[in-house]
Amino acid sequence: MTNEELESQLSAMFDNELPESECELLARRLARDESLKARWGRYATIGAALRMERGLRTDSGLARAVSVAVAAEPSLLATGRARELVRPVVRRWWQPAAGAAVAAGVAFGCIVWMRSEAPAAPEVAQARMIAPAIPVARAMVRSAAPDSYVVPTTVEATGASSSPPFIPPAELADYVVAHSEFSAPLLRHSVLSSLVTADPGTGNAASAPTGGDNDQPK
Amino acid sequence: MRMKRASDRIGMLALALAVASVAGADESQKWLERMNQALTTLNYDGVFSHWQGGKVETLHIIHRVLDGAVTERLVSLDGSGREFIRTGSELACYLPDQRTVLVERQPPATLLLGSLPNFEAATSEFYEIKAAKRTRLLGRKTQLIVVNPKDEYRYGYRLWIEESTGMPLRTELCDGQGRVIEQVVFASITWPSHIPDSAFKPDVSTQGFNWLREESGPLAAGDPPMMWRALKLPPGFRMSVRAAQKMPGSRDPVAHLVFTDGLASVSVFVESRTHTNHPLSGSVQVGSSSAFTTVIDGHPVTAVGEVPPETVQFIANAVKADPHAAAPVHSPFDSAVPPLDPTPLQLDPSRGTVPVMH
Amino acid sequence: MSADVSDLSLVRRVQRGDKGAFDALVLKYQHKVVKLVMRYVRNPAEAEDIAQEAFIKAYRALPQFRGDSAFYTWLYRIAINTAKNAVVSRDRSPVEYNLDAEHSDESYDMQSRLKDSETPEGLVLTDEIRGTVNAAIEALPEDLRTAIVLRELEGLSYEEIAAAMGCPVGTVRSRIFRAREAIDRRLREVFEGGLGRAEELG
Repeated sequence: MTNEELESQLSAMFDNELPESECELLARRLARDESLKARWGRYATIGAALRMERGLRTDSGLARAVSVAVAAEPSLLATGRARELVRPVVRRWWQPAAGAAVAAGVAFGCIVWMRSEAPAAPEVAQARMIAPAIPVARAMVRSAAPDSYVVPTTVEATGASSSPPFIPPAELADYVVAHSEFSAPLLRHSVLSSLVTADPGTGNAASAPTGGDNDQPK
Repeated sequence: MRMKRASDRIGMLALALAVASVAGADESQKWLERMNQALTTLNYDGVFSHWQGGKVETLHIIHRVLDGAVTERLVSLDGSGREFIRTGSELACYLPDQRTVLVERQPPATLLLGSLPNFEAATSEFYEIKAAKRTRLLGRKTQLIVVNPKDEYRYGYRLWIEESTGMPLRTELCDGQGRVIEQVVFASITWPSHIPDSAFKPDVSTQGFNWLREESGPLAAGDPPMMWRALKLPPGFRMSVRAAQKMPGSRDPVAHLVFTDGLASVSVFVESRTHTNHPLSGSVQVGSSSAFTTVIDGHPVTAVGEVPPETVQFIANAVKADPHAAAPVHSPFDSAVPPLDPTPLQLDPSRGTVPVMH
Repeated sequence: MSADVSDLSLVRRVQRGDKGAFDALVLKYQHKVVKLVMRYVRNPAEAEDIAQEAFIKAYRALPQFRGDSAFYTWLYRIAINTAKNAVVSRDRSPVEYNLDAEHSDESYDMQSRLKDSETPEGLVLTDEIRGTVNAAIEALPEDLRTAIVLRELEGLSYEEIAAAMGCPVGTVRSRIFRAREAIDRRLREVFEGGLGRAEELG
């Protein structure tokens, strides 16, 4: 392919008018070739200049600054090492295990949890109408078998490489919070909020029960 | 007690600093004390970025001390809309993305923007604390204070402390090689003399939200739980708290031990029940905290702390049941940490090289 | 409108770990993103900072991009959110508490700090670029000029331009390419002549 043919492809690709099959090859080349990139960048400048767009100074370091910052970022591709970065989802005491029945307060959206197993002592929580000034709830009860949670952040098994992946105890989140009262992490909230983050994809605790009348979808 | 105006306080601090004897660690410690004082007593309103684990979050913090009462609000500016509002000893976490508000009790000493504990003399054996260069941040003169760990069991800090207010404009938690583990950098900050109550109202409308409040109850009646001790500890660490406490959501007490070297602290939690199906030992990182879980005599033991992973592993593995100790039972909501157990712990001479000291 | 196949092929490369492909996306959309951000902030240096942040956020969020929308639509939303947040955080600051008189003239708003590149020379270069491009356009043969104007100013697809100009699509592609080449020749003179920087990124 001559230079001119290559550049003609580049021009068409810039306009999203290059057939997909040719795009893949050219994309690979473009990603590696600084002079092709520069030309591609000038195509964007031509358009902006034609449209009399104000704002970006042509000699600005924006693209370069982003390139440098991205170079410092971890690769988007998993590296496949023993350490896996998993999106942090850690269950906390207020997130019900599967099977726990839930009753929603009617007027003010208060939630009262009920036990999932038969209690030893007669203790049955009841949903109550509660004035917002005095919210009251019963202690959360965890079911005996914590089931659905995902390991937080990074996990490394200390056993042999063939051993099953280590799953930290369900109480880990509570321990980290309890410890934070005695330590001085830079941001206490980060302890709380990182433990509250729930991955919407897992459907774990992110969806609140919608039994109440006043639970209006946003 | 009505708080003095911030300008009076600043003037007093500046005078105190000028008059105080200078040179070396003493002066650096005073900077740290000023910083703690600033974080706890000043009104401040700022925007900062929090970097941890390769992720950055932008946050807005407002902190007010009025008639001795502390009110704080921390808002995430990155789209989740999450907010934390602390009024006295109650912390409300607004989670619009989950349409939930969590209300917890938090001891009054816990700020949303953490501060370092007061540096005691003993810790200079394990940390090198020095005043480094003076620079300008946000147009203000700041003094960089560096806290370097002297061994691999702890982390260090770099603190850029603003001269007139004592506020840390930039804070870094670093490992022994100087790599930054966590960082807080202010992009803008002011110290308003007056902050109205309206500044602490959440932005989100909570209509239709679920409200969850944790309620702590008394421990289940019966035999006091077994207590534990550590047979050996990394240099400089000593036990500072030993208690049984009730974890939220469970009626079984958990032994909670805290070990500290004066700056870093590690909590060890030991569950009363023995689990037969407990998972293997393993290390976990939760944010910048290291955690390690193992099983000692059938009991699950978990150690957590802002220390390198080796340290939590060391301490967790060194834990042993201590049938002679009586457990002071305390709730984390008590305003005072219970006094240290006055009876010295029995050392097992066959193990361990470092005695456990109070 | 045709699907944004070229953007998607670049996006897929980035998702497979090719960071250079992200450079190409930045180069293509940096002007548009800055222009968008400037609807929220007037200061060009601040707008660039926000644009930079938006691009980095987009890079990090790219694993979640599934191609349900066009890439630029997705990027556009990130840029708007980033700009809004930046404005919110800036406008939040209450009246500055006056400490000592000594400090009053030393404080400045960090977000509008001057960058090294925001010199008069930088601003002149932009006008020079615009002038060069427009002069080059004027000098083009009419069929090339029409083609590039319909493409860049009207946003028409090659097919639509072919219909408008009464010629095959292949001819449209060729005309636009040759128009760009002619303008680019003059642009390169400006770049190389002005700052001595030849084929540079951005």
